[in-house]
Amino acid sequence: MAGHTPRPRRPATKRARKQPVRKPISRTPEWLAPVGVVAGVALLVGVFLVIRYMNTPAPPRAIDSTSTTAVVAAITSLPASELDQVGLGSATNPIKRISGSLLTDSTGKPVVFYLGAEFCPFCAFERWGMIIALSRFGTFSGLQATTSSATDAYPNTPTFTFRNATFTSHYIDFQPIETSDRNGSPLQSPTAAQQALLSRYDTSDAIPFVDFGNQYAFTGATYTNPGILDGMSWSQIAAALEQPGSAQAMAILGSANLITAATCQLTGQQPASVCSRAIIQAIEAKL
Amino acid sequence: MSHDRLPVVIAAAAGVAGLAISIYLTVVHYSALPLVCSTTAAVDCGRVLSSGYAVIAGTGVPTSMAGVAWFAVSTTLATAQLARPSSQNLAHIHLVWSGLGLATVLYLVFVEIVQLGAICIWCTVVHILVLVTFLVVWIHRSRLTM
Repeated sequence: MAGHTPRPRRPATKRARKQPVRKPISRTPEWLAPVGVVAGVALLVGVFLVIRYMNTPAPPRAIDSTSTTAVVAAITSLPASELDQVGLGSATNPIKRISGSLLTDSTGKPVVFYLGAEFCPFCAFERWGMIIALSRFGTFSGLQATTSSATDAYPNTPTFTFRNATFTSHYIDFQPIETSDRNGSPLQSPTAAQQALLSRYDTSDAIPFVDFGNQYAFTGATYTNPGILDGMSWSQIAAALEQPGSAQAMAILGSANLITAATCQLTGQQPASVCSRAIIQAIEAKL
Repeated sequence: MSHDRLPVVIAAAAGVAGLAISIYLTVVHYSALPLVCSTTAAVDCGRVLSSGYAVIAGTGVPTSMAGVAWFAVSTTLATAQLARPSSQNLAHIHLVWSGLGLATVLYLVFVEIVQLGAICIWCTVVHILVLVTFLVVWIHRSRLTM
């Protein structure tokens, strides 16, 4: 080609001769392992959510007022010997001595104050033991069957609500408050005096909260796994409570004995037929 | 600050933050201080921290106390690595410690989601701090062993 002077060929340099003979192996990026760990953790959380969803039981079939009355009658007429046999059972004891002056109503009866909510599964569990225990000191009427929230822990736990219940007793004045229904809508509010109790003794706003005449109190349930009631109907639970060795009896009757013992401390050990029983005396000694 | 020390600095900072939160939760457990936490359907610190899982099984010791101990050790290890940044032994011990913490966190997350169906936001922050600690400790150890 005219005017084109061919460039002299560049001599091969030392650098050029040192070209790698194969493509270098790239190192694993530093970020890969941490990202893998995060992905693994996220996957596990996803699995937990699926397990939770799969294990959420369907709500038990609602029962009518006649059946409710029958179940309440069954659980409040359990033989004292069975309660004695269970003792504390598998219940845990969250009851603490508190330093208040004895709380009484206008007639001088010691007050047992309960604060809970219908959505709350721990309240759902606790009411079984409370109904059994307090029925040793008086009589409930107006208890209605319900279940805890379908979207909360231990969903759809069968229970009774204190919403419209009345309790008559020669020994104590039971004052229950259910703050919300099972969907979380507001129901009842504590009085100013009850609110003062809560501010003093339930500082973590945990429910259920039970105050025994300002002498003893507890928050949370007296059993750590309300899931033992999962999938059971009210009648099945009542039947299980007649078997002292059942998991339900061990938990609920143990809880009932604890509540009975705390209540006996308020009533001057009355009625003697309840409070003088050896197992109640033994539990009282531990309070 | 050198690039190589950054993971250890992050681990130390996460340790201090986790220690502060764990101490707060422990103080709330033992005292009348109110727990600062919003409550919605899924987030409910009160429910989680008043459950039976809020104490170490068979004791009355709050689980947050275990958090205090874990973060105290983790912070100490991170501080020691700041002084001796090339120590492979310290890096290895910290990685094992972080792995134990992460395994415990996974169990506690299982309890929150599956057993309780509620999340404690304070606990979740602590869990994230443990995860972050594990990750940065891993990165630090990987750089040392390369």
